[in-house]
Amino acid sequence: MTSLRTIIAAFLCAIALGLASAGLYGLPAFGHYPGPYGDIINRQGPAERHATNMVTLVNFDYRGFDTLGEEFILFAAVIGAVVLLREHRGEEASARPDQADEAPIPERSEAVAFGCRLALGITALFGIYVVLHAQLTPGGGFQGGAIVGSATALLYLGLGYPAWRGMMRSRVLDTAEAAGALAFIGAGLAAIGAGAPFLTNLLPLGTTGSIVSAGVIPLLNIAVGIAVAAGFGTLFLEYLEETREPESGGEQ
Amino acid sequence: MSHAAFLLPAWLFAIGLYGVITSRHFVHLIGCLTVIQSSTYVLLLAVGYRTDAAAPIFANLPIGTPAVDPVVQALVLTDIVVGATVTALLLALALQVHKRTGTLDPHELRPLRR
Repeated sequence: MTSLRTIIAAFLCAIALGLASAGLYGLPAFGHYPGPYGDIINRQGPAERHATNMVTLVNFDYRGFDTLGEEFILFAAVIGAVVLLREHRGEEASARPDQADEAPIPERSEAVAFGCRLALGITALFGIYVVLHAQLTPGGGFQGGAIVGSATALLYLGLGYPAWRGMMRSRVLDTAEAAGALAFIGAGLAAIGAGAPFLTNLLPLGTTGSIVSAGVIPLLNIAVGIAVAAGFGTLFLEYLEETREPESGGEQ
Repeated sequence: MSHAAFLLPAWLFAIGLYGVITSRHFVHLIGCLTVIQSSTYVLLLAVGYRTDAAAPIFANLPIGTPAVDPVVQALVLTDIVVGATVTALLLALALQVHKRTGTLDPHELRPLRR
């Protein structure tokens, strides 16, 4: 059914497409990046900070202050989701899954359980590897933290709800997330304490290519990795609690 | 045709916008918003791209090798993190809307209806 609304929407989107295309034609041709900022960082970064991953270097050193803001956007969004979802959760959500219209709940297949148990350890280890090699190879605290957070979802799929719920303590996750965010601020304030501007990279730079090189960058990435992993774990926890049947007497 | 690659983010933006306007379901609407946001990822990466250049990772590359722009890639990372968390927040809002009103159709929601 083609309603008037659809026609107007299509018309407006065609206009938006035309305007966006016209604007984008003013950019330098694709594949001809003109510089100079990226080139300056690519040339100076490895020598100045002993890091080899320029993306992490930009995020956690040259523009570290912006990443602090990014970290707190994540923090605020997780808090917002938790506040919204916990409001209606009964005091005692039962462990039974909620059923829609008595529809049968299929058993978790053994292939899923086995595959997830197999992937669980590898995924968690890979996430930690990505966090620890932030300044060296592609990845960093956000990416690695998201991978570790995904491992907690595999825990749920592989071991089932009761075992997963027993391991996910929201108090531990909340504390870890806050501690990660605080550690980032702490690293910034430590620089002020030493008489330098906020978040100045004052630690010894080490040997390029070593896991402890590039000063404060690995520490910031570990802090962010912990915060992101805990944030994702919290989100999974809150959303999966929504699938439980409310205890009788609790909220609808 | 040197600008043809920029048509992809424009197209992603337009179809995402069309989806948002015509959406009859909040979860679908949030999906469309993600499509709009992914247009910004593609655009940023396209702006910093350089033909035949390496990734800005100098672990195994000599310094001075032509590489793409790391600044826009750092921006895309921020963009993705913000996008993922905002999506989580919006889905939580959609859940609350469904609990309170029993519908996820934006057209069935009246302003200030209790």
